[in-house]
Amino acid sequence: MAGKTLQKITAKHKKGRNLVSLLKEVQDEYGYLPAQVMTEVADSLDIPVGEVYGTGTFYSFFSTQPLGKNIIRVCKSVPCYLADNQSVITEIQKQLGIKPGETTDDGEFSLQLTNCIGACDKAPAMMINDTVYSELTSAKISEILSNYR
Amino acid sequence: MNTNTIRVTLNGTEVSGHPGMTILELAQENEIDIPTLCHYPGLPPIGACRICVVEVEGSRTLVASCHTPIAPDMVIHTHSPKVLEARKVIVELLLASHPEACLVCDKGNLCELRKIAADLEIGLPRFKVKKRYYPLDDLSPYIIRDLTKCILCQRCVRACREIKKANLFAVAYRGFHSKVVVDQDQPLDKQACQSCDVCISLCPVGALAKRDGENASQETEATMSRVSGFGTEGVV
Repeated sequence: MAGKTLQKITAKHKKGRNLVSLLKEVQDEYGYLPAQVMTEVADSLDIPVGEVYGTGTFYSFFSTQPLGKNIIRVCKSVPCYLADNQSVITEIQKQLGIKPGETTDDGEFSLQLTNCIGACDKAPAMMINDTVYSELTSAKISEILSNYR
Repeated sequence: MNTNTIRVTLNGTEVSGHPGMTILELAQENEIDIPTLCHYPGLPPIGACRICVVEVEGSRTLVASCHTPIAPDMVIHTHSPKVLEARKVIVELLLASHPEACLVCDKGNLCELRKIAADLEIGLPRFKVKKRYYPLDDLSPYIIRDLTKCILCQRCVRACREIKKANLFAVAYRGFHSKVVVDQDQPLDKQACQSCDVCISLCPVGALAKRDGENASQETEATMSRVSGFGTEGVV
C-alpha cells in the first residue's frame, strides 16, 4: 500500500523525527492513518509501532479510521461544553443521522468531537474541514451544513 | 564528582544536596517519607501519578518531587496541610476509576495503591464516576493483563524499554481513555515477550499477573463465585 509517496514523506522526516508533522502529511495523503502505513512509518523511523499509534490516537485531528469527504469537528473542551455544545452535537446528529465517531453512509460527512480549537471566546465552536464556525446554536446548523451538501 | 552543594530548607531544617538531585532523593536521604507510585528507582521519573507532590515556596503549583531537581535556597514542605490534602484527593481520584474489588483481587495486600490509600486514611469512595472496562488480555503465554485495574503509572512501559530493551508497551488514546497498548492496541501474544517478568514485578496494582498458571485467574473466579450474591460492587 505504501508506495513512493510514503517513502518520500518518511525520508523527509527521518532526521528531524517530527512524528506529528509526519503523521499530518500521511493523513493528508491517505485521508486517515491506515494501520499498515503506521507500521511502515515505525519501521522507517526505527521506533516502536506503539509510539506511532500512541501519537496517532492522542491527537483528535488524526484518525485511524477512514473519514468522509467533509469532516465536522465539534469542540468538546470545557468552554464549549459550558456554552452548550451538546445542543449543537444533538442537532448535527439529528440532521445527518450519525453519532460522533461515525461517517454517513454516502461518505459525505464524518462527525468527530475534538479538543480545543482556540475559539473559546466564541464558544461553542466547530470546524468543517479547515473552516471554523463559532457562536453556534442549533438553529444555525442546517444552514451551515447546506453549504456542504 | 559533585563539588557543588546546594543548600535548601526541607521542612524547616537546612540541609544540603548535590546538583541534579531530585527533591524526593533529598527527602529520602534525610529520612523523610514521601509516598510514590509511578516512581521506581532506576527508571526515568515521569511525574505521572502526582502522589509525591510537595510544596515549594514561591512555586505557583505543587510540584512532583520525583522529577523536580533541587535548586539553591528552595524552601520545601513535604507534609504541609496543602500537600496532604492534595495527595489525598489524588489517591481518591485514582481509586475513583479503579475497580472496587480489592477483596477478590490477586494482588491483595501487595497492592501499592491500597497501601497508600490506607496510609492516607482514605475511606469510602467520594467520587462516583464510571469505571473503564477492558476485557482481560490473556493470550500471552506469560502475562495476564487486566487493564481495568491499570492506573497508568507507566512503570511497565518504562521497565520494558529501559531494563528489558524490548519496548513492547506504549500509551495510546487520551484522557479518560488513555491505555497502555501493545503495537496498535493488539493483545500481547507475540514472541517478542520473553517472559522476563520485569513488568509484572513492577506493577504496583493487579493489572499485570503471571500466567503460572491458569490457577491465578481460576482462583479469582472461584473466589468471585464464593462471594457472588455479595458482588464486587461496593467492596472496598
